[in-house]
Amino acid sequence: MPQNIVELYTEEEIARLERKVKRILAALIVLGAAALIACITLAALANVRNAGRLELAAVIVSTVAGWICIYGGIFGVSAGKKEIGHANMLRSEPRERIDGPVTVTKERLKIRGSITVRRVEVASETGVQKALVHEDRAKRLAELPVTAVYLAHGYVAAVEVAE
Amino acid sequence: MRVLKNILSQLHSFLLWALASVLLWAWIFGLATDTSFDKKVMIFCHVPAVQEVELTTELEKDLPEGIKMVQVHPFDYVMFDTVSITRADILIIPAIDVAEMGDEIVPLEGERGVQVYDPDTGEGILLDYITYGDEAYYLFLGAGSAHLEDGIAAEIAEKLLDM
Repeated sequence: MPQNIVELYTEEEIARLERKVKRILAALIVLGAAALIACITLAALANVRNAGRLELAAVIVSTVAGWICIYGGIFGVSAGKKEIGHANMLRSEPRERIDGPVTVTKERLKIRGSITVRRVEVASETGVQKALVHEDRAKRLAELPVTAVYLAHGYVAAVEVAE
Repeated sequence: MRVLKNILSQLHSFLLWALASVLLWAWIFGLATDTSFDKKVMIFCHVPAVQEVELTTELEKDLPEGIKMVQVHPFDYVMFDTVSITRADILIIPAIDVAEMGDEIVPLEGERGVQVYDPDTGEGILLDYITYGDEAYYLFLGAGSAHLEDGIAAEIAEKLLDM
C-alpha cells in the first residue's frame, strides 16, 4: 500500500462513532427513565385540587423529554448506526481503483432507510466516472488533493493524495 | 440550521408524540383522581357556572365512612363521560329539566324535589359556589346512584342544603 492513501473511515473513527452512539443511547435511556419516573410521581401526588396543574406539568415533561428522545434516537443513534454500517461496508468490501482528480458536486441523495450521500465525479482517462460519498465526508474529500479514488460498491472508501 | 431542518423533517413525529402525551396523561390522571362509584359521591350541576374544586374541597372536609372522594361536575362533563351522569348521586337541575329526566331522578322529599334557587328573590343554596340562571333550580338524587340505599346520597344532599 502506498503511504499517501487516506481512508475516509479509519478503525479509530469507527470505534469513536460506536462510542458516540452508545453515549447518546445511554443518555436518552436515562432521560426517558427520569421523565417517566417524574410523571408517575406527579400522577401519584395528584388529587382533585392539584390534578390540573400536575397533569399540565406531566404533559410538558413527557412531551419535551419525548421530543429530545425522538431527535436523539433518529439523528443520533439511528443515523450513527447507519454511518457505522456504511463505514464497515467500505472497509470490508472489495475496492476498485480509479485514477484521476475528484470533484464533489452539490447533488445530494438520500438513500432510502440509510445515509445521505453526495455525488462525486472522477475525471479518469476513460472519461468522467460517477461515485458517491457520505455527506459528512464530502467536505473533507473536497479539500484533499486527490489523484485516485478507491471505490467500494460505488462509494468512495479511500483516496490517494498527492505528496 | 441543520437542527431546524432535522426537526422539520420529523415534524409529524414530534406532533404525534405531543398529542399522544396529552391523551396518555389525561387518561392516567383521570384514573389517579377517580375511584369506583360506591366509594365516591358525584354531584352534577346543570347551571351556568360552578366552582367544582372549591365545592369539592368543602364537601371533602367531612366525608361519610366508606367514601373516598366527592366529584362535582357541570353538565358539560357528559361530553367526556356519558356513563357518570347515569350514576350521579345528586343533581341540581333547572325546572325545565325535571320533566325531561323523568325516571332518572328521585326526589329527596316531596314530589318535585327540593327547590334550591328562587329566581324571584335570588335566594338559594351554595351561592358562593354556584351561579344560577334566571329560573328555579331543584335538587334531586340520581336514580342510578350507588348511595340511595345506604343513605349517603341523602346525607350529602342534606349537607348541601345546610351549607
